[in-house]
Amino acid sequence: MAGVPATSDNDDSATSLVIEFKNVGKIYKSLLGNSVRAVEEFSLVVGDGEILGIAGPNGAGKTTLIAMMLGYLRPTTGTVEIGGISARHYVERNGIGYMSELISINPKWRAQTALVRYATLAGISDAEVSRRVDYVVELLGLAEHREKKVKALSKGNLQRLGLAQALLRDEQILVLDEPTHGLDPVWTQRFRDIVDDLRDPQRTIIIASHNLDELQRLADRVAIIDRGRLQRLVSTGYEHAAPAITRFRVTIVSGHELVRAAFPHAEDVGRGEYDVTVRSIQELNAALANLISKGALVASVVPERSVLEQQFREAVGESQ
Amino acid sequence: MNRGRLARYSLWQFRDFFMDRGIAILIIGFLWGYVLLEPLRRAMGPQWPGDRTTPVWALTLQVSSAIVSLSVLIALNGIVSTDRKSGYYRFLFSKPVNPVVYYAQLFFVYMAGVMATMLVLSSLLHTILPSFSVVNYLLYTALIYIAMGGIGFFLSVATRYDWLTLAAVWLGARILRDVFGAQHTWRSKAVELLPPVHKLDQVANSLIGTGRADISDVVWLLGYGALFFALGLFILRRGSLAD
Repeated sequence: MAGVPATSDNDDSATSLVIEFKNVGKIYKSLLGNSVRAVEEFSLVVGDGEILGIAGPNGAGKTTLIAMMLGYLRPTTGTVEIGGISARHYVERNGIGYMSELISINPKWRAQTALVRYATLAGISDAEVSRRVDYVVELLGLAEHREKKVKALSKGNLQRLGLAQALLRDEQILVLDEPTHGLDPVWTQRFRDIVDDLRDPQRTIIIASHNLDELQRLADRVAIIDRGRLQRLVSTGYEHAAPAITRFRVTIVSGHELVRAAFPHAEDVGRGEYDVTVRSIQELNAALANLISKGALVASVVPERSVLEQQFREAVGESQ
Repeated sequence: MNRGRLARYSLWQFRDFFMDRGIAILIIGFLWGYVLLEPLRRAMGPQWPGDRTTPVWALTLQVSSAIVSLSVLIALNGIVSTDRKSGYYRFLFSKPVNPVVYYAQLFFVYMAGVMATMLVLSSLLHTILPSFSVVNYLLYTALIYIAMGGIGFFLSVATRYDWLTLAAVWLGARILRDVFGAQHTWRSKAVELLPPVHKLDQVANSLIGTGRADISDVVWLLGYGALFFALGLFILRRGSLAD
């Protein structure tokens, strides 16, 4: 975290922390004998310093995977290892910055004391606790809410408190489950800035989210899961996926009469916007160059769907 | 490091005990004792408190031992299951904390809390009934906390509705022993495996009254509770925190 001295007492600081899911499966069994397969033959290696997104529809198995990664659930089959040891063992020795989808903090606690308690459990020294708590309170804009009881916090403020407790230490691994759920647009953007600041070759970040746009912006790779299986592993950079994108929305400020010449099949959707279909990025660039050279002013060119959204639709569609 | 940070956290655990349970135990214990003993004290006048053969002593034993059982029930209620049901475990155990050590510490911090509340109540009782020994009462409290609390801890790890289950187990064991205990059948042998609740009255009478108790009864009670406490810790280690 920029501008803040690290206060971690991690045993394995500065060592390689690869997270490895090996053939992981999880079956929930009820007392009546019914069983639900939540995760199936899931294998994935998350590299040191990587930001990995996990995307999937509701009930895809994202939260179950994260629970197994933190050692809260035992896999029915396979193993989850962090830095070569079992995930639970790693967490007990080193801790992980974790923000769950449901922010479960005792409602009777005050925001400030909740953070002090978690800081104590995290092993932050007495001398540093208040400095560290002040830092996360400031970072997450909780100063005016610090004396409020947890039950009195709004959904957005509770979400920020959840994130604050995950950032108390300079953790090597951060796991954020639906981190912007309930945040307003200002704090959603602020969250993205915070994650950008957290990007570090020594830190691995896992973000599970429904928000594909967010994952596209933040993650290096995104694991798309559905029905408990890894459907696709997508690199979010456009250089990997540009050939797959064929539909764009082009916004023209002036020179509307020139659009048809450059894009014969352009569809006018109003307010100076046109949907165009091309066979390749090269064709798109050639047509745009033609349009601009004739005097048109192009304000924006946006893919109809992001790389990730396109891959997500294909992957989830294929699995159903 | 794990022990150091947990030792510091024990102050928060003790505070939680006092705020969430200790005050309730003190109020219930005080009211119960006051409502039962004060009318007797007024009625007896200068005869109060009399010697240990008077009904006052028998009533005091009964009430004080019941308060200990109730306190243990209140203290152990949800000791593990609440964190699991409410999801509090998620943030607690993403920190570098071993849940087995955390809950073992919580069990003994709550024991200290129960002992402290019983110290207050028994000291009050001692002022109006000088023959009532505070030390003997604390010995009895410690014994019952381990015996009953160990089972309660196990049930809190294994089930969601722990206090209800503990009350059912406690009451069920007493009823089954009354029904089958005197027979010479396999049933009477089977009920021997149930929690040794039948020994409580006898132990309460002798331990609170004289500070002494049959060593085999004490060992049986302590052993039973300790076994279930250890079993609870084992399940915590081997099982899942999440459902």
